[in-house]
Formats: sequence, C-alpha cells, structure tokens
Amino acid sequence: MPRKNIIELIGINKSYQNYKALNNLNLKIPKGKIFGLLGPNGAGKTTLIRILNQILIPDSGQVLFNGETLSQKNIIDIGYLPEERGLYRKMKIGEQAIYLARLKGLSKKEAKEKLDFWFDKFEISHWWNKKIEDLSKGMAQKIQFIVTILHEPDLLILDEPFSGLDPVNSKLIKKEIIELKKKKTTIILSTHDMNSVEEICDEAAIIHHSNKILEGKVSDLKTRFQNNEWKISYKGSSMAFSNAIWGGWKLISHGSNDDINTAIIELNDSLTMNDFLKGIIEKISIIEVSKNIPTMQDVFLKATTNE
Amino acid sequence: MNNIGLIIKREYSTRVKKKSFIIMSILGPLLIVGFLAFTVYLTKNNNSSYEILVVDEAQLFEGKLRNNEKYHLEWSPIDKSYEQVQEIFKSNEKLNLLLYLPSNLIQTNSMTAKCLYKTIPSTSAQKHLTSIINEAIELYRIEKIGIEEEKYRSIKTRVNLDVIDIENAENKNIQRKAYVGYIFAFIIYIFIFMYAIQVMKGVIEEKTNRIVEVIISSVKSFHLMMGKIIGIGLVGLTQFLIWITVISTLSFAILFANFPEKYSIENQIQTDNIIENSNLLTNNNEKIDEITQFVLYQIDWGNMFLFFAIYFIGGYLIYGSLMAAIGSAVNEETDTQQFMIPLTIPLIFSLSMIPQVIDNPSSNIAFWLSEIPFTSPLIMMVRIAMGIGEGGVELWEIFLSIFLLIITFIICTYISGKIYKTGILLYGKKPSYRDIYKWIKT
Repeated sequence: MPRKNIIELIGINKSYQNYKALNNLNLKIPKGKIFGLLGPNGAGKTTLIRILNQILIPDSGQVLFNGETLSQKNIIDIGYLPEERGLYRKMKIGEQAIYLARLKGLSKKEAKEKLDFWFDKFEISHWWNKKIEDLSKGMAQKIQFIVTILHEPDLLILDEPFSGLDPVNSKLIKKEIIELKKKKTTIILSTHDMNSVEEICDEAAIIHHSNKILEGKVSDLKTRFQNNEWKISYKGSSMAFSNAIWGGWKLISHGSNDDINTAIIELNDSLTMNDFLKGIIEKISIIEVSKNIPTMQDVFLKATTNE
Repeated sequence: MNNIGLIIKREYSTRVKKKSFIIMSILGPLLIVGFLAFTVYLTKNNNSSYEILVVDEAQLFEGKLRNNEKYHLEWSPIDKSYEQVQEIFKSNEKLNLLLYLPSNLIQTNSMTAKCLYKTIPSTSAQKHLTSIINEAIELYRIEKIGIEEEKYRSIKTRVNLDVIDIENAENKNIQRKAYVGYIFAFIIYIFIFMYAIQVMKGVIEEKTNRIVEVIISSVKSFHLMMGKIIGIGLVGLTQFLIWITVISTLSFAILFANFPEKYSIENQIQTDNIIENSNLLTNNNEKIDEITQFVLYQIDWGNMFLFFAIYFIGGYLIYGSLMAAIGSAVNEETDTQQFMIPLTIPLIFSLSMIPQVIDNPSSNIAFWLSEIPFTSPLIMMVRIAMGIGEGGVELWEIFLSIFLLIITFIICTYISGKIYKTGILLYGKKPSYRDIYKWIKT
C-alpha cells in the first residue's frame, strides 16, 4: 500500500545561538497535495524549509521522506525555489540552467531536451544566450521556476513563488502548479498571499513563534474558524431591525447603500437564524440572508493574534 | 563527488573564457619581459657623469686622484677658503659634488673626507670616490717611503672571492640564483593574492546574487566551497603555464634574434665551454651573454616549476579557504577590509623578509620562515632557488614545510567550512570576530 504522506516531521527542534526557531514540531505533508505553509515573518518557516532541503540539520527529531529517513539521495527528489533567489548575473541563461539541472542529477542531454521543452512552452527560447543582467526580475523568476521543476521532483517547495510577478505571469505559474499536482507532484507552498492559498491549497499549516498552531484541510480550517456570523440585506427602517429581538445576538456592523441596508450580526448558540428571522420578518423586507464564511486571511489573523 | 566536479568545471570554464583572463595571459608575460628588458636597458645606459669640485687643503693629491670620463674632477682655487668654495659650488649649476679633503687626511689611517652634494650620488659613485681617495693616499705615502709607482702597481691585487660549497662545487652563483628565487616568490605572492581574492569575490557574488541557496539545496555547502577553491586554483595554474610558455618563447625568440649562431643545437657543446671561462669576461656585451648562459644552463628550471606548483597550490589553498570564509561572512566587498588585514600581513611580511633570507639562507629566521605555512610558500621558494641538498636547503626541511602546509590547509578548510556554512545564509548585520568564533564552535 503506498504511503499517504511524503514528508513526516517528528519532534523537530532547531535553535540558533540565542533563539529557538522550531519547537518540537510535528507535521505530516500528504502526497500529491498542495500544502500551504503559513506563518508570520520570523515564525520558523524558512528554517523548516531549509531542514527539508538538508541545508540545515535539526538539533533533534526525525525527518521522514516517503517513510525513510531523509538523506542525500533525496536531493534529486526535491525541487526548491527559495524566497531569496537569484541566478549568476554574468552567465548565459541556457548555460546556467543546464548547470543547475546537472547539479540535480540530470545528464547534459536530458537537461537540454527538457529545457527546450519548457523554453518553448513559456515562449522564451530566444533568451537562451542572454545574460540574467539583461532580463527583468519577473523574467528571471520564470527561469528560476523552470529550473526548479526541471528534474521533475516528487516534492516541490516553493517559497513565495508569486512575489514580484505581474498578474499574467502569476496566473501562468499558478496554472503550472496545478498541472504539476495533476502529475502527482506534492507541492509545499510557503506564502503570505492568502488568496492563492485559498485558490490552490488543499491543506495548510500555520507556524507561529516556532510552534505549529494549526494544521488541516483548508476547508476544515475555515469551518473551524467560522462563527455564527450572518449577513442580512433588507429594506426598511433600521430602528425596526434593531428593536426586533432583545437577546441572543449582537450587531457587528451596519451600513446602508441607497435604500438597502446591510447588517452583519452574530448569533448566540441559543438563537437560530430561523428564530431571528421570525422576529423581524414582518417589520422589514428581506433581500438576502447569507452566512459569513471566513477567508484564509481571517483564519490566519485569528490564529496568530488570539494565541 | 560528481557534483563537486560540476562546480569545479563551472568555476574554471567561466573564468578561463573571461576577457580579463585572456588579457592577463598575454599582458602579464609581456609586462614581465618588458620590465626585465627595461631594467637591463637602464643599468646598461646608466651613464650619468659627475662634475666634482675638489678642495684639497693639503694640496697633496693633484695628479694622484684618478680622473675619468664619468668622474670629472676640478680643482678649486688655492686662495679660496672652504666656506668660499662652498658658495662657488652652490652657485655653479654644472657642479654635482664637492669633495673636501682636509689637511689632516694623510696623517692617520682613519680620517674622514667629506662629499657635499646637491642630489645624492649613487652608492657606486660613493664607492668609487672612496677608492680613488684611498688610492691617492697610498700613492702619496709610497712616494714618501720611496717606492716607485710601478712597483706599487705590481703588488696591488684585486681578488675575487669565489664562495663554493665543498660538497657541491656545482652550486655557484648563489646570489644570482637567489634573485631567480625572488622572482618566483614574487610571482607566488601575486598569484596567491590574485586568486585567493577571486575566491572571496566569487563567494560574495553567489551570496549577494542569492543563488547560493539554490545551489546548496543541491550540493553540500562544503563541496560548493571546495569546488570553487579548486576551480579557481586550476585557473591560476593554467595562467602560470601560459605565462611560462609565453615568457620562455619570447625570451628564446629575443636571444635567437640577437645571437642566432650561439643558440643553434650544433653549438650547444661549445657554449658549455664558454660558461667555464665566463668568470674572465668583463665586457658589457659579454656580461649579458654570461647572464643568458646562467639563465639557460645553471638554473634547475624543472625543480623551480615543480616547487612553484607545490608552494603555490599549498599557499593558495590556505589563503583561498580563509578568503572564502571571509567572503561568506560579509555582505559586500567593502566589509572585507577588517578581516583581510590579518591575512595580508604575513604575505607582505614574507616578501619583505626575502632580502634577509638571501643574505643568510641558513639562518634561524630563514629556517623558521620557510617552515611556517603562512610564510613558507614565498621564503622556501627563495631557499630552493639557492640550492637543494648539501649546503643549501635540506630535503627534510622541504618535506617538513610541505607537510606543515598540508596540515594547515586541512585545519584552515575545516574552520573555513564551518564559517562558510553559517555565513553564507546570513544577511544583514556585518558579523564581529566574536560571532565568527561562535560559528566555528557550533
């Protein structure tokens, strides 16, 4: 039976000279999913990513890759696009793409074939003999993305892959990430951009102050953080609305646009929406009632500030 | 290990293809040959002559001080005092020196004559003046005792002392060989500096480009560092090989153009005989000829190149690895000064100690400087040039210094590897020596 998780972290600790970057971290990253690795700046994400890439060695704990202890031989199974990324400025693009691919174990011939395919696909073949210093930042980033995925790793670690990209290129990269997922690649996406987490991530974990504080399916996380918050749009007097029922709810916000009012209310456990509506239905005319689902942004903020 | 090969290859090929490398390969030898030719030209044409005004208080030396085309003596008027003559000397632009021979000069054996100058005379001019004054005093005295000048000339001798090693009579011309060693030491100095700094620049480039994190996710940071050091070292050796080829071709071409008949193969045996008699040659052209004979047949070029390679590699690996550590610790090149000083001092120190080593190659200081790994690449090169084996530098001394070089290199790369591993990923604040010490400890 194939294993469910590509990565299992068990009790990982990592300290620098005078501060602890990761505290007894346990984390499972399921195979074939896009996994969002979230957390404020300095939470320990980069340390975690560097441990996965064997750039850093944890002080204690175990890292399993497909059930076996992570070792040098896994280097070719992982593709890594760091947040702080760059290329040799004076080296020709084609040359350094081949060099980087060969460091990941491809032969010169394989590297050339695969690069030709991707350069064609991204319509950048004419860049082959250019130098990085002649390209814009966004262009360089495309090259970096290609180089990262070229050796078709099982695990792809992307740290802020969309930063610095315009919406068109951002969409292009997103499309490729989803394509890769279809080909059974596991992707760890570390980002502050919660919209893309919502858009493409299946699961996510939030790391805060060196600890994992949240983990699960994105949809579950949102449900877990949802409270009984509703949006009601209506016509009629707001006085009538607020006088309707005395207890069991509270008004979070209220606004009006022309003659349409919108109220956000939170219900206590003692009150259902049906009960609430019964109390007001005769005094106002209701246009829309909907439940407020939290965004990942809300989840992130609540998780990291309420801690 | 396959990956370290890839890194070496990249470091090597990107540098060898650079314009600056090609330019240095041509310009370097041209500069060296040009510089040597220029110094030879200058020494050959050093024909500045001296107009010398002589104050002869006792009036004893006229006719006895030797006059020649380079040193032109003029006698000051008898009625003028020394002070007045000084005024004349100052006001006459033609006069270069004022030679004052006090009246008591001949009375004892250690009196002082004076030489006043406007621009300081060369050491050889000073020597020449001293010798003609001595000779004049001697001539005056033999006249007094009643010895004829002819007899005096016949007993006057001019001895050359040939200092020869009893065990190794071949080892002649030690001073000249020392200068060849000096040149080699100087080239080692330039090469270590040039290429160790390239290592540092390369590391800084990778760090500021931020490509380093991509690479160390594929290879171990230590392999990246070593690959870079080895690759650049090979560039240095390539450069040296090109220099040697170009310099020897150029020199041979120049020699052949000047004396085509002497350097044809048929005359090889004949030339060997000329060296035997070369001590007798004094003529200027023949002197240059003697030097070329010396360069061609008395220097063991095979040994020189072999040990150059060994000591360049050894010294470069030590300094290169430390420079790599410096490069990894800083964020930009301007921050490197503080850390570079402790590295440049031993190199410059060894360069400045070479004259002392040449003066006494078997002294204690020469021994220690040629064993201490931070100075040995330069100093040992000089000692080796002055002769290996009995009388010269002993083989065990060479082996010991190579051994120490290797041990130090291993220690340095170990320490540098630790600094490199941490430093390469840290951006922002410039680290202090204390921070770096902590990196080494962890």
